[in-house]
Amino acid sequence: MSRQNYIFLLSCIFIFMLFSCKHGEGEYHSLTDKIEEKSKDYHGIPVSSEPYIDDLKTVEITEGEHTFLIPERKSQITSYACTECHSKPLEQMKGSDFKKAHWDIGLVHANKVTMNCATCHNGNNMDNLQSLTGNSIDFNRSYKLCSQCHSQQFEDWKGGAHGKNIGGWADPRAAMTCVNCHNPHKPHIESRWPSRFNTQKVKERE
Amino acid sequence: MSGIGKYFKLNMNSATRQTTGGACSCGNTSGGCGSHSADTSEPAPIKSSCGCGSDSGGCESYNKPEMGDQEFFEAAVDASIGQETKKDGFDQVFEVKMDRRTAFRKLTASLMIGAGAVSTSCSVTSGEESKEKAQIDWEEQFKGNYKLMTDEERNATVNRLVRSYELRKKENITMKSTDALKDVLFGYAFNISKCQGYMDCVNACVEENNQDRNSQMQYIRIHEMKDGEGFKFNEADDNYYHEVPAEGHFYMGTQCFHCDNPPCVDVCPVQATWREDDGLVVIDYDWCVGCRYCMAACPYDGRRFNWSTPEVPEEEINKNQHYLGNRMRKKGVMEKCTFCVQRSRSGKDPACVEACPTGARIFGNLLDPNSTIRWVLANKKVFRLKEDLGTEPKFWYFMD
Repeated sequence: MSRQNYIFLLSCIFIFMLFSCKHGEGEYHSLTDKIEEKSKDYHGIPVSSEPYIDDLKTVEITEGEHTFLIPERKSQITSYACTECHSKPLEQMKGSDFKKAHWDIGLVHANKVTMNCATCHNGNNMDNLQSLTGNSIDFNRSYKLCSQCHSQQFEDWKGGAHGKNIGGWADPRAAMTCVNCHNPHKPHIESRWPSRFNTQKVKERE
Repeated sequence: MSGIGKYFKLNMNSATRQTTGGACSCGNTSGGCGSHSADTSEPAPIKSSCGCGSDSGGCESYNKPEMGDQEFFEAAVDASIGQETKKDGFDQVFEVKMDRRTAFRKLTASLMIGAGAVSTSCSVTSGEESKEKAQIDWEEQFKGNYKLMTDEERNATVNRLVRSYELRKKENITMKSTDALKDVLFGYAFNISKCQGYMDCVNACVEENNQDRNSQMQYIRIHEMKDGEGFKFNEADDNYYHEVPAEGHFYMGTQCFHCDNPPCVDVCPVQATWREDDGLVVIDYDWCVGCRYCMAACPYDGRRFNWSTPEVPEEEINKNQHYLGNRMRKKGVMEKCTFCVQRSRSGKDPACVEACPTGARIFGNLLDPNSTIRWVLANKKVFRLKEDLGTEPKFWYFMD
């Protein structure tokens, strides 16, 4: 075979390869690549989830690089402000002179060695919570109290992997705070029955 | 002219002219058209002749050999599908030159409804309402594929559907035809260590999406699996009824994963299902022919078929509807999860996300670098089902 034929053959192969390597299925190798590339010039979107959290009283919090809304708590606690009854330090209110209260609260959280009422509440200032080091924590920011021990859950919650989103996926982000799902005095969630059973499926599979 | 060529002619989605299949024909019957009259003296190119159904001129065209090859091809393509690619609505059906067989098919399909419509609309005894009903039925019957409609046409069909519902049920619904938002790609993450199998999501989904109550259709399945044995769908129970979470079990949900490379879309012979720009895989219920190819093609059991006419008690119907979402379906069409398109396109969470009491379901915009879904993808160990198929589902699973 002459040299010219070789060159012709090679160029044919080259041209063939040039076209055959072009896949028609898209310009990105994977979905992850596509997401990364397309989100580079993201400048926000016109929809907002604001209308869906309108009737909810919220407070804005900033933790690390995350800023979002959580439900306001104080107005939801029936007997807040606590000082309406707790007018004196706790020691002076013990005894039979006062109306009994909080009989429905039993502490089933960790164990008695680790936790008692005073781990979170301050007998001298009932309107605020207190951290392990004795610093005051507002009732609206009670997650700060939980995050002292539950640090992994706190990380996930900030990022959005733990806890429940409220309203919509768009900005502004609103999420439930710890005490919206977990009763701080009894954080374990009881088992229950599923909300539905598909009887038709049973028939179909008979 | 191969048989398959006929189907390509009905491809109304193509924006460009079809280059395959030289022209239309008058079917396989040899005596049907002059072009096939076994005239062996004629040269070969004659076999790509033109439609003889509605336009008689088409048949004679081969008698003019002075027409250039290119010219002839153009004319042939134009005669067969050229107009179909540009038109919609009535025009898509009426202004198209077609062969006799197709014409008969289209006519018979519409005969019953047409006859009914004509008799009611021409009748002097029937009232204004039934005339309007008939007019709506008529226009709905001949509307085009939603994907090809202009915004006006979309509004028109939505208005027709709303009005039709009002006439029939004396109730008002709202129906949207909201388009995909720019810079939005929907994604979903599911926390398998959080799901407790309560099935609140299934409940919410059925109510939100007006699913048939009789057949108890459900888009979502929750699978109860044994701890320590991995995903074994054949051993999992997706219809349990006992106190949950059961000892030694974990729960995971499946639904439509809205694949970025959806196999169901590829197999649809009538292009009644497609991937929208925000990543949602949707169905035009009025264009679906119910062949269930998509159901077979889906590797995730994400699609459902209406074996009977879906029925929902009037007071339970969700009246906030979307054309591509939860509007009332009919018998014999496919349906599936749309990530609640009627909610998600206006910024709201899908019903399952809103209903889940555990926070196991996370929904958001994959193109927003600050969204929670992006945080989960970046910081949790996520995986998808059957990743090796290359379907690129936009539904990730993860654990705490």
